[in-house]
Order: sequence, then structure tokens, then C-alpha cells
Amino acid sequence: MIDSAPTATATVPAVALMGIWKRFPGVVANAGTHLTVSTGTIHAVLGENGAGKSTLMNVLAGVYRPDEGEVRVHGRPCRFRNPADALDAGIGMVHQEFRLVPSFTVAENVVLGAAPPLLRRTAFEAEVASTAARFGLAIEPDRLVWQLSMGERQRVEILKALWRDARILILDEPTAVLTPAEADELGGVLRRMADDGRSVIFISHKLHEVTDFCDEATVLRGGETVAASLTVADTDSAQLAGLMVGASPAVTERPPPRDPDAPLLEVSGLSALGDRGNKALRAADITVRSGEIVGVAGVAGNGQRELAEVIVGFRPATAGSVVIDGTDLTGATPRQRFRAGLGYVPEDRLGVGLAPRLSVVDNAVLRVYSDYRRGPFLAADRARAYCQDLVKRFAVRTGALTDPVAGLSGGNLQRLLVGRELDHHPRVVVAAQPTRGLDVQGVKAIQDLLVAERNAGAAVLMISEDLDELLMLADRLLVMQGGRISAEFDPVTSSRQDIGVAMVGHRSDAEGRL
Amino acid sequence: MSEASLVGLFAATVSFGALLYLAALGELFSEKVGILNLGVEGMMAVGAVTGFMAAMETGNPWVALVVAIVAGALVAMVHGLFTVVLGAEQVVSGLSLTILGIGLAAYLGKGYVGRPPGAELVPVDWGPLSEIRWLGPVLFRQSPIVYLAVLVGVASWFVLNRTRVGLALRAAGESASTTDVAGHSVVALRLSGVAIGGGLAGASGAYLTLSVTPQWAEGLTAGRGWIAVALVIFGAWRPGRVAVGALLFGGTLALKTRLQTFGVEFSPILLSMLPYLLTIGVLVVISIRVRNRPSPAPAALGTAYRREER
Amino acid sequence: MRRPVLVRRDEALRGGQPLAFAIGLAAALFIGVLLLLGAGHDPATVYQRMFEASLGNPDAWSVTLNRAVPLGLAGLAVAIAGSMGLWNIGAEGQILAGAMMAAWVARVGDGWPGPIIIVAMLAAGAVGGGLLAAGPALARSSIGVNEIITTLMLNEVALRLVQWLIHGPWKDPDSFNFPLAPMLPDQARLPVLFGRAHAGVILAGLVIAVFGLAVSRSVWGYELRVAGSSEATARYAGISLSRKIFTVLVLSGAVAGFAGAIELSGTADRITETISNGFGFAGIIVAALALMRPGGVAAVALLFGAVQIGGQSIQTLGVSSSVSTILQAFILFGAIGAGVFSQYRIRLVPGRRSVLEESVG
Repeated sequence: MIDSAPTATATVPAVALMGIWKRFPGVVANAGTHLTVSTGTIHAVLGENGAGKSTLMNVLAGVYRPDEGEVRVHGRPCRFRNPADALDAGIGMVHQEFRLVPSFTVAENVVLGAAPPLLRRTAFEAEVASTAARFGLAIEPDRLVWQLSMGERQRVEILKALWRDARILILDEPTAVLTPAEADELGGVLRRMADDGRSVIFISHKLHEVTDFCDEATVLRGGETVAASLTVADTDSAQLAGLMVGASPAVTERPPPRDPDAPLLEVSGLSALGDRGNKALRAADITVRSGEIVGVAGVAGNGQRELAEVIVGFRPATAGSVVIDGTDLTGATPRQRFRAGLGYVPEDRLGVGLAPRLSVVDNAVLRVYSDYRRGPFLAADRARAYCQDLVKRFAVRTGALTDPVAGLSGGNLQRLLVGRELDHHPRVVVAAQPTRGLDVQGVKAIQDLLVAERNAGAAVLMISEDLDELLMLADRLLVMQGGRISAEFDPVTSSRQDIGVAMVGHRSDAEGRL
Repeated sequence: MSEASLVGLFAATVSFGALLYLAALGELFSEKVGILNLGVEGMMAVGAVTGFMAAMETGNPWVALVVAIVAGALVAMVHGLFTVVLGAEQVVSGLSLTILGIGLAAYLGKGYVGRPPGAELVPVDWGPLSEIRWLGPVLFRQSPIVYLAVLVGVASWFVLNRTRVGLALRAAGESASTTDVAGHSVVALRLSGVAIGGGLAGASGAYLTLSVTPQWAEGLTAGRGWIAVALVIFGAWRPGRVAVGALLFGGTLALKTRLQTFGVEFSPILLSMLPYLLTIGVLVVISIRVRNRPSPAPAALGTAYRREER
Repeated sequence: MRRPVLVRRDEALRGGQPLAFAIGLAAALFIGVLLLLGAGHDPATVYQRMFEASLGNPDAWSVTLNRAVPLGLAGLAVAIAGSMGLWNIGAEGQILAGAMMAAWVARVGDGWPGPIIIVAMLAAGAVGGGLLAAGPALARSSIGVNEIITTLMLNEVALRLVQWLIHGPWKDPDSFNFPLAPMLPDQARLPVLFGRAHAGVILAGLVIAVFGLAVSRSVWGYELRVAGSSEATARYAGISLSRKIFTVLVLSGAVAGFAGAIELSGTADRITETISNGFGFAGIIVAALALMRPGGVAAVALLFGAVQIGGQSIQTLGVSSSVSTILQAFILFGAIGAGVFSQYRIRLVPGRRSVLEESVG
């Protein structure tokens, strides 16, 4: 590999990625992407979901090998076989999912894999503490990781990289899990690292952080670099947002608008906590009327998952109410809500919506199996007939109906799931990421199904990370940001730029300013 | 209830305690790296018989001990191969290992049943220390393996908590993927833990045939392997607490045959249920407390690690 | 440099588990040849005798079927729990508990007519096993205490209970110092069907069939399988998990206890501390090899029974019982290994310890 000492000349960039191509089955993540990071700077990599940011960084960190293209670190070409090689070259990455041992102390986690043979607790804890202090990381080395907040855990991850003397630090959406105050602190830490001659690469959606912390920015869209090494001081949020979402005319076909009638889904002041005890959902108000599709746009992790789960009954609400067709169902079980006419297409197809090891037939009757009783038995013949009918009507390609459902492709899984939910013509449908990971035909099929249901009078709440999809299908568009419904748009008349700005957010979480 | 019989009770407690402690320490290492090994009984049996055989053939009890340790480790490697390398179900593999170990031990020990021992590890004479009233016979007139057990216990604590390799071993049992990403070989770490488990179980078995009851017979290990599994849980996976538990459980074993001499009318058989019931109790308490803090059990215990699988 | 890794197959190997078991068996028998040669025996004679004694003639079949009964029922007990992802390691103790309750009924009901005693004994057996499993079941369903250890520990408790009974209150006064429970009265023995096979064979077959049907066809079984598939899916479908966990574990114990009662009444003639004879643990292996499906349990139990009976029979040829035990262990490991390969295959991957790439989410 290469030696990790920074070179003397400021003109040799710390990192140069040139013409990176990376393909996965069915998708091209990086299509000739470029990135150049100067030494001693904080460089932002911006883009929507699926733009190729994480993949590019994983290439740099040695997790993925590029199909084509060149990686240069401090001027020397590198070919990393694995993350250890990248580490040797001085590249450290802090992923969104932390790799920590919860029952160990901070110090133990930091030194794991890079420890002296004999661990004298006080000695190495002191060393870890001094490294932390050097970069302004407020963390106590003897605390147990499971007791730490997300922000503190992130500091441990950063400390891990610094302990191994990373000259180039990559942070993947670091502030997604931080409070605004913690985010500021992080900015300070990164600045100290940059001043120390290290280079920081900051993957983000949050424009205000880019403008606050970063020196330069590169924008990716659709796997390509659309703007390279912009000087942040010379640009603004609006321009960056525009680069991220593009200005292409989105709408091609549009289903004819229906006149919505009475409200079928009314969500008022709904709040809930996330898995980590954070305020994931804050006083959401949503109304969906019969014959209407309301789209919920936003970057992942802004409360969409929790919103869906609370409406459906998987997650308790800490405040607010959910009313379906006039009936308050705030405390009802998922099953009761289903019976009341609420259909749910969950994000996790396999694992929530479908039981992977059970057969196609078993899955087809999952929600209504008690209707197929015959005495103590399940009427296998009727269930099978129903399944066959379902499979035919929704064009699900399967092997034997008795095979486990895990063998189906993504598109067919989703057709089965959506078909099962819509078959009973629910009054309200909550669909979370319904077309994620599907091929073109699959996407069209699911979209058609949802639109058909809407035309038949259902109220559809569609949560999606695909803005184009929402612009095409939704009658009204809401944007979720920081756990709140931050804005509403008319899909036909609004500009993508405005929507993009609302999606990526401003420092409005605490203060309510824009 | 005479002083002599009390002293005898305590001495036996220490002796049985050491027996259980060695096997439990082995299982502790195995579980610390995440591998549940229900084959302790089998490994102990193999250690017992190979120790006896080696003592017979070489006349040197220390060589015999080493042979027993190696034999135990080798047998454990079968379990290691299936669970660590292939990722098979640990419960099933461990139980199969018990069957294998017991069968193997019986097979190897065929010609040695009932024969007098070739060598023994007789209690160490500490000179004047052994003469101290009370403490002398209890602490200073035990087989050298007892002192070895104490050493191993201390060493275990030290290795696990104060060395780099110990950190890595523990990490492998808590979060294999984190350990992998940190640059360690999870397979090597886990196989090591399993091997240590087998070696110490073998040593425990050898203690039986070299000191406690110096002869070989089938079924010698008599269910003590399960006590070792229980001990690890009872001691919350910490060598120090396991030692306390070992003394406790060893005491019930020692008490079993002595209840009569103390004039106690309670059935020794029912008394011997105590360790198992206590373990259940401890487990319940741990589970209740887990609501507020993570379990003391190694987080990855019982699961296979396949890097390529999400 | 390329190194081998195990990667999950997209679809299970054709022939699946039975094929795996067969391969494992063949591999083990092959290694067994070496073992036998090393011990100075002729493998051909030995294997032939094993086959004859277990499956060679109706009398052999009758003995093998008898052996398959506790193996199958214990396997069923474990499989019932296993189809929900729970481990019942306590079948060994539950068999004892069932035998104890049945023996108690036999004592109390001395003088009752045959059919009544037997039915009462069998019912008591189920109750006994269920009772022993109730503690771990409750602990698991309400607090989440790991059932592997709790059921395992109660094995030892049950064993000592039996020992105490035999040495104490139930000791046969005519047994001359050597502690033995008295023999069962004749009317408490299960009737013989053919050869030496007792009626327990039919009972066991019925129970396995009923549960097989229940798990695969009934609503209860459906809920069981959904709950075992994933907790979130169970909630999605409206199934109460903690209640299911409790009933499944207790039921599992009851089946094992039932096995104990049958074994007492059919094969043994009095209760002894070895009446469970490793069946409980063998049942775990039977269930695992049958992939926790009641349907496969019968077949695996039969094969396992044949292996055990065959193993016993070769002792008259001078082959020690330990050899047959080792052979059994080989077969088990062979089946375990083959089972892994029916779900995973070997792939050569480039690079040194690199994290294999997965498709982007």
C-alpha cells in the first residue's frame, strides 16, 4: 500500500477518485463518478438516496472493489482488497450503522484490533482519553457503550479511526442520529481534524450542515458527478438543492384526478418515539380523503417509518390520534385496524409483511386466516383456491404454491403482498416504499394497483423515497423532515427545487425558523 | 459432628470444587467466544480415560495430565469444526459430541477397567503449612491439580480482562462482525476458545482418574458435565464468581455422602438437586434484570457467524 | 488468492434433508469400516448382523419399532417446540417425570382393571411431563428466560427425584438391600402386538400423525408456524406470542411425558432411573435431523432405532457397545454435516479476508 504521511505540496489532493464504475445486479451505482478532496479540508458529498454516495465511499474505504476507475490517495494509485488495506492507507470510515460491542467500555472498543499485548486498563484508558481530548471529542473511556447516546457512540467510532491515525476520515450521514447541538459539536471536531492536516469527507443530505461546516462540496446524481469540488462559500442551499434533485420535468403520465369525498384517514397531533427513544414523530397532522393519494416525501430517517408504524398499530403513539373512517382507532391492535379497513404494505416485505419460511398459500391468508377455518382445521383447499386466484389476478410468478415464499423475486413478493392487502378493498391503504428495489415492470404494476384502489374510492397514504414516483401519482404531496410534516405541495405546479429544499431541511428543527 | 468430619467436609468441598471449576472454566472460554458446548461430559470422559491410560503407560502423572488435556482439546475440535467452520446448530453438535466422547472413552478404556492406577497425583505436602489446624488439611493437603485449578482461574481472569488476545476472544463472543471488521479472525478465535474448553474439560476428567478416584470405569463422570454448564451461568460468565459457585456446588457434592455422619436426616439425593435449582433461580434473576441492562451472557452465544450473510 | 466460503443456496438441494441424512449415514458407515478394522472385527459381518438384528425379520422389526417409540415421541416433543424456534432440552427429564406419574398411578390403582390403569397411566404420563415443562414454559413466555438451560437443569432434578423415590418411599421391600421399585402389575403392561412390539407402537404412531396433521393443517399449527417464522409477522397477523410459547412448551413436555409412560408400561417392567436412557437427548437429534417437522420425525426415529438396536446386537459378536456408540456419533455428525451442505454451498472468493460485496440496498 502507500505510506500515510501527508505530502508536502498542498496541490496533491488527499483523495482522487477518477471514473469510478460500480455495478450491482440490476443497478449501476456509480457511472464514472469523480471526486477530488484536498488535504486539510472538509469535503461534502451530496446527493439523494440512490445517487451513489455510499457506494463511492465504500469503494474508497475498501469495502467494495470498483469495476473500473482509479483510486489515488495522496497521489499514489491504490488498489484496496479489503477494509484493512484502506486502513493501512490511512482511510477510516464511520458508517451509519456503528460497529461497536455494547458491553465493552469505550476504550475497549477503540483499541479492539489495535491494542498492545498487555492491557493495563488505566494506561490505555488514559491514552484513549488524551487522543479524544486532542480532537475535542468529549467522551469518557471507561463508560460502557450500551449506556451511551447515539452521539456519544459516534464519537467512539471517530475515535477508533483516529486511534489508528486515519489521515482521511469518511463520515456517512453522521448527523442523521444527532441532535442539533451534537451536530454543532461534531462540526467543531471535524474542523480540528482538518486543521491538523487530515481530510474529512462528509456524506450528507442536510444542506445547512454543508454550508456551516464544509469547505468544498461535490454533488452526485444518478451515479454521476454533476458538480465537483464547489467552494461552499460561493454557493447556497438553493443552488445545491437544485443540483441534487435536478430540474428535469418529472411528470409524464398522470392519472385523472378524482374529486375526493369524505376524509377516511385523519391523523392529528400524532407523536411517537423511535427505537432509540428519540422523538421520531412530532405532532403529525395528515388527512387523506376517499379517492385520493397523499404522498409523503422525504429523506429516509426523518420519521416516515415511525409514521407508518403508528398509523398501522405497530408502534404506540405518545400523543395524538388516528381516526379511520370516523372511528378512533388510536389504541387498536394491528388486527383490529385491518378489520376496520386499513391495509398496510410495510417497508420490510420479508420479515413483517410476509413470513419467509412459510409457503405462498400460508402467506396469502396471513391476515384473514381465521376466515378459512373448518372446525379446528385450516381449510387447505379453500385457502389454496384463494391463493391461486390471488396469484393469477395480481400476476405473481411463483413456483409451487407450497414452496416457501422466500424463493420469490422481489417484484413477485411485492405483488403478492400488495395484492393480499388490496384484495379486500380496504378503505385506507398505508404503503411504505411500495416500489423499492423493483424492476421497471414491477414498479409499474404496483403503481397501477395503488392507483386502481384509489380510483375505487380508497384513501392511499404513500410514503416513498422516490420523488419522481410521488410527483407522478400523488394528488397532494407532504414532506417529512425531522419528524414533522414540514410542508405541503401541489405535485403538478410545485417546483422540484422547492420540494428538494423542504426535503433536505434547514436548521429549523428546534427553532422553527426556515 | 466432630471437628474431623467437618474438616473432611471442607477438604472434600475444595476437592470437588476444583473438579467442577476446571470443567466450568473450559466451558466459560468456549461460551465467551460464542460457542455453546453441551459436550462437556464427553470431553471429561475422554480426558479421564486418556489420563489414566497415559499414567499406566508412562508412569508419569504429569505427562498423563498433558495427554488428557490434548485429548480433550482434540475431541472438542470436532465440535469446533462443525459449529465454527460449518456453522451447524450448536446444541445438536454438542449433544452428539457427548455421545462421541462417552463412546470413545469407553472404547479406549476397555482394557483398563478396574486396574490399579499406573501413577497418581498425590496430595502435595506443604510441610508445616499442612499441619495448621483446620486450614492445613483443607487448603494445604490437596492434589496438585487443585492448585492448578486456582492458577488457571486466576490466569483466565487475567487473560480475558488484561490482554489483547482476551479482548479479542471476548469480542468474538459479543459481536462477531465487529471483531471481523477490526481485523481479527473470528474463526481462529472461536476455535481457540473451543479448544481451551476441551483441554480444561480433559484436565478435569484427568483429575478424577489421577487423584480423586484413581481408577477408570465407564460412567465415571456421572453427570458432572452438566454441572459445569450450569456453573458458567451461575457465575455469570466471570471466573471469580464461577469459582464461588464451584465451591458451593462442590460442597453439595461433598455433603451428599456425609449427611449421615452429621446426623442430618435429609436425603442426600434431594440435596443434590440444589445446584440445578439454584442455577435456574440465578437465570430467572438475570432475565429480570436484563430489562434494564444487557445480559451478562455473551451476546453472540449460540449463533453461527457467516460473514457473507446479512 | 482465493479461499472457500459457505454461501446460502438459493434453493435447497434437491432431495433435501433425506438425501443429506443418507449421505451422512453412508459417510459414517464408511468411517465405521475403518473403526471396526482397527478393532479387529470384520466390517461385513458386523454390518450384516446389525441389519439382520434390526430390520432383517419381523421379530427384529418388532424390537426396532419398540425402540423407535420413545425416540419418535421424544423427537416429536422437541419438534413441536422447534417449529416455533424453541428448544426443549428437557425431554430426558420429562420422560422420567411422565414415567414417575404413571408409576404412581399404577401403585395407587392396584386392583383396577387393566384398560383403566393403562389409560390412567398414559394420561398421568402426559401430565407429569407437562408439569415439569410448565416452569420453564412460564419463565420463557413471561420473562424471556432461555429455555435451553432451564429445561436442561430440570433433567437432573427429575433424575434425582426418581432416584430418591426408588431409594426411599418406593423401594421394593422384597428387593434385598439393592434399591429397586416393585414390578408393575401385569394388567398395567401394554398388550403385545406382534413379536415383541407392544401397543405403544400404534399409540406413538397415532400421536405423531395427529401432531403432524395439526401442525401442518390446523389453525393452531398455522399460528405456530407463523409465530416461529418471525415475531413481527406474528403481530402483523394478530397472534399472541407469549400464550403460544407457553402452550407449546407445556405440550412438548406432555408428549415427552407420554413417551415415559409408554416406555414404562411397554418395555420396562418397573420404574428405574435409567428408563429415559438417553432418549430425551436422542430426541433432540432426531428432531433436528427431521428439520423440526413432525412428518419427518417418524422416519428418522425408525432409522435411529434401527441403528441403536443394530448397535446393541453386535455385542454378541464381541464388538463392544462403545463401538456402536461411536458409530452412532459418527452417523450423527455425518448427518449434521450433510445437513449444512444441503443449505449451503462452497464458493471460492477472491482476496484475503475481504468483506464480500452485497447488492446495494
